Amino acid sequence: MSESMTERPQDRVPTGVPGLDIVLHGGFLRRGVYMLQGRPGAGKTILANQVCFHQAAQGGRVLYVTLLAETHDRLLFNLEPLTFFDTSRIPEQITYLSAFSTLEEGGLKGLLEVLRREARAHKATLLVVDGLVTVEESAQTKKDFKKFIHDLQIHAHLIGCTILLLTSASAEMVGPEHTMVDGVLELFDNRLGRRAERELEVKKFRGSGYLRGGHAFQITRDGIVVLPRIEALLQEPSREDSCKTDRVSTGIAQLDRMLKGGLPCASTSVIFGPTGAGKTTLGLHFLNESSRSEPGLLFGFYETPPRIFLKARALGLDLEKKQKQGVFDMLWHAPTERILDGLGNELLAVVRERGVKRLFIDGVDGFQKAAAHPDRISHFLAALTNELRVLGVTTLYTNELQQLFYQEVRLPISGISSLVENILFLRFVELHSRLHRLLSVIKMRDSDYDSSLREFRITSRGIELADTFLGAESILTGEAKAASPSRPKRRSLLKKRSR
Amino acid sequence: MKTLLVVDDEVGISDALSEVLSDEGFLVLVARNGKEGLERVAEKRPDLILLDYMMPVVDGREMLKALQGDSAYRDIPVVMMSAISRSSLPPDCKPTAFLLKPFGIDRLLAVVGQLLGGPAKP
Repeated sequence: MSESMTERPQDRVPTGVPGLDIVLHGGFLRRGVYMLQGRPGAGKTILANQVCFHQAAQGGRVLYVTLLAETHDRLLFNLEPLTFFDTSRIPEQITYLSAFSTLEEGGLKGLLEVLRREARAHKATLLVVDGLVTVEESAQTKKDFKKFIHDLQIHAHLIGCTILLLTSASAEMVGPEHTMVDGVLELFDNRLGRRAERELEVKKFRGSGYLRGGHAFQITRDGIVVLPRIEALLQEPSREDSCKTDRVSTGIAQLDRMLKGGLPCASTSVIFGPTGAGKTTLGLHFLNESSRSEPGLLFGFYETPPRIFLKARALGLDLEKKQKQGVFDMLWHAPTERILDGLGNELLAVVRERGVKRLFIDGVDGFQKAAAHPDRISHFLAALTNELRVLGVTTLYTNELQQLFYQEVRLPISGISSLVENILFLRFVELHSRLHRLLSVIKMRDSDYDSSLREFRITSRGIELADTFLGAESILTGEAKAASPSRPKRRSLLKKRSR
Repeated sequence: MKTLLVVDDEVGISDALSEVLSDEGFLVLVARNGKEGLERVAEKRPDLILLDYMMPVVDGREMLKALQGDSAYRDIPVVMMSAISRSSLPPDCKPTAFLLKPFGIDRLLAVVGQLLGGPAKP
């Protein structure tokens, strides 16, 4: 007789929960026993049922056994508003059974017997036991409870089904049940000041890699959506960096000359400056160069799309036309209670889907405000930036400086200067009781650039940059002084106006 | 009623196999190692033996060797069960059939049915 072709447990059971299969590297392992734990209201039942309906949609069969006082009517009533709920699957493919009385009358042995028989009778590919805490309370000793889990595991292999055990969070850090199961997923509902953020963590997953640490999730009308932590998801960029050497126009000819041809392709730049200095305006020029070969995207937090179009029109830039041509689009999120990884994952999805090559992120601090843990932000931006780079996206961030005039410049997000290749600096200077806008290139990695300070004006034709500026000195203190008359005179907007 | 002997040091596995096979209408005997297994065989000759490979005291290989060396028992079909593949077994270890652990009920019943000439239940 030939060797058994018995399926090895490397086969996956996809959960169908957006984001979770990414965290689990493809789903649960077939015939594995997994514990799903969390406090009441954490989302265990929704998550388990979402997996059940996905399993049924894939042609599988599910046995859902409850050990709780909650009736099935109530359970189904609560699931009904969710889009994954499909009554046509019940009871043929998804069967709900209560084993509460079996457990009370027959103990753990009786329950195990019922689970085994019913799972086999229903040809279940997935067995859910909702209310494991009731089993734990019914066990005479911890050893009995451990044996129950062990026996269940053996039956999972024999019956050929994957088992999900739902329980409230264990008081013990390492309960006996945790040592027995193939994996443990915990759901949290964290309070962060006045806001709350749901989080999922895979605490154990035998026989497979997974994305470690906490991942935010949301309960939506479509069920649970897991948002893999960007810096865990993109520990390494998804592909090799092709190190392109082409230049990408900023949309401002004089600035391109300062940059010796434009921004390096697939590089990341940040524009620092106080409010009103012209950061968004510069970004709109950059986006106005969007084309079929270089689709553009504005990812913003503050100015709404209608206001952006209005602003562009005032600058003589027709972004609406670009949008109609399908070469430019906008994603806008008010900087309210957002989830950082939701923003990051959405941004990357749109960039990939539309093949975006020009990306303008207006207000990088919008990410910072969404971060439940602000200390993450530099890691988040590093992962995001690295990925955008390998996707061939030339990215421009704006980052607002809080003071209008300053002698010392403090960057609002620590470490951001090391993440980006290029830094442009916009600021106001006061000279002869007038405010003037200045632009300078502070950094351009591995490239020559013109480091002179340039005055610029924002007109109905967009940004106009002076050829050069030598009309004043001590500019970077924010309080310029008229330059000494012995200096060579060159044409500059500031000098002309300061006469 | 056909008699099956399950020899496995893992109680959970022998219990589970025993329950499944009893449901199918077999009389199931259980032993925890090869030594106990040989004692059960002497007490009541089984129609088929499900034998774990790695066990304490007397392992599956030794028990199989003892059975195959005894003219009274060498015709009893033996299904070796192990988490290591059949090709990893030593050349002198030649069971009638082999089940790679973990295996499912359907596979188990197919192998048992094939060796016994049909399922226990009509």
